[in-house]
Amino acid sequence: MKAHTTLYNRSHKAALVLFCLLGCLNFLNAQDSTAVKEEATEAAAAAPKKSKPVPNTFENIWLLDNQSVMVPTKGSFQLDFMHRFGTIDGGYQSLFGLFGGINIRIGADYVPREDLMVGLSLTEYNLTWEGYVKYAGLKQTKDNKIPVSVTYYGNMSVDTRSDPTGGLYPHGTDRLMFFNQIIIARKFGDRFSIQVAPSLTHVNVVQGYYPGDTTADGKSVLGKEMKHDHFAIAVSGKVKLNNTLNLLLNYDQPLTKHLTNNPNPNLSAGLEINTTGHTFQVLVGNYRYITPSRNNYYNNNDYKDGQWLIGFNMTRLWNW
Amino acid sequence: MKTKTLSVLLLMTTFIVVVSFTFSKQQPKPWPVPDKNAKMANPIKADASSINTGKASWAKNCASCHGKMGKGDGSKAAKLTTHPGDFSAAATQSQSDGALFYKISEGRDDMPGFKKKISDEDEIWSLVNYIRTFKK
Repeated sequence: MKAHTTLYNRSHKAALVLFCLLGCLNFLNAQDSTAVKEEATEAAAAAPKKSKPVPNTFENIWLLDNQSVMVPTKGSFQLDFMHRFGTIDGGYQSLFGLFGGINIRIGADYVPREDLMVGLSLTEYNLTWEGYVKYAGLKQTKDNKIPVSVTYYGNMSVDTRSDPTGGLYPHGTDRLMFFNQIIIARKFGDRFSIQVAPSLTHVNVVQGYYPGDTTADGKSVLGKEMKHDHFAIAVSGKVKLNNTLNLLLNYDQPLTKHLTNNPNPNLSAGLEINTTGHTFQVLVGNYRYITPSRNNYYNNNDYKDGQWLIGFNMTRLWNW
Repeated sequence: MKTKTLSVLLLMTTFIVVVSFTFSKQQPKPWPVPDKNAKMANPIKADASSINTGKASWAKNCASCHGKMGKGDGSKAAKLTTHPGDFSAAATQSQSDGALFYKISEGRDDMPGFKKKISDEDEIWSLVNYIRTFKK
């Protein structure tokens, strides 16, 4: 039994409002910059210096299982290759998960205009296609006039498994999940960056059940095992170990309480190696789905039970 | 028999010489820099903070070809058509900060332009400051 909601519900309106708000903030900031430029033309010597954004808060769009606040420069194109192995609790029999159930994601990201990234990916689990958008609304400045960077990340995923009888998904929209996230980050000095990212996952269809109640006209009441909307918050950080190696830490805490099947938190740590075009992140964590909505909504790996898994993210960036 | 051996040796020597010249590294050809770029002043003071920024950027973006100390002996240098040069030598150190900034930003042939890879101009100027520390 499944319960449905309409595609355009209140949560999406809220996400749209947040996205517009970020756009307005960016626009006002740009207006400020334009005003400064005009003043500079009139009185160059007296003009205030234009605030410059703090570079390299994070050095890749990926921060283990989450998106970082970063949007690459205009014209950038990136390919993502991500693996999550099985949990290590199988021990030697699955070579600590390396021979276990592997989930793979291949993605492509492009930055068509400054501060705006779009992307498309395919994940092996449930043959999930994702379309996503990322917009850097605010950037922390060196003079601290803007103390934090703020980025919006929106993701729509579609389960494209074959379902010839319609038993899996009676309606096409049942295959959809949505993920909206506001990422707030700050770089402290040269070595340490932190970001906090509240998110809202919306699942179009959830499992239903009959609790035994009936309506006034005698029909059975349909209950929902889980809510359609799920709030969570992620806290992530980077510690620069040397000029090419970073330590990455991440924690995801579910906030919404469901009737049953409450997802577990995710704790992950990894090392990041950077070169001009490549980034390699190797990690240990609990999330296995890679798709952010599914990770946040369905994670049943529990670090308290030793359900850790090994994974890696590899990216190749080109600038055109 | 002796003539045949000599002929084979001569042929092999010729082949080795020809191959060596064909695949040897080309010496850098002249790289003109527009006057206005060459005359640009470095707005970033070469203090410890800038040198650290430049050093980090060098390790990430440059060292694989130019080597850790700018000697042109990075792990990828052997794959390049043009030798990356010795940055501790006068040929590099005699160039203006503006000229080095221009070359790092724009790139040419094997050398990629970094103006899109390093979005912060201050970081490129810091790279220039760091390159100055290679001076003999």
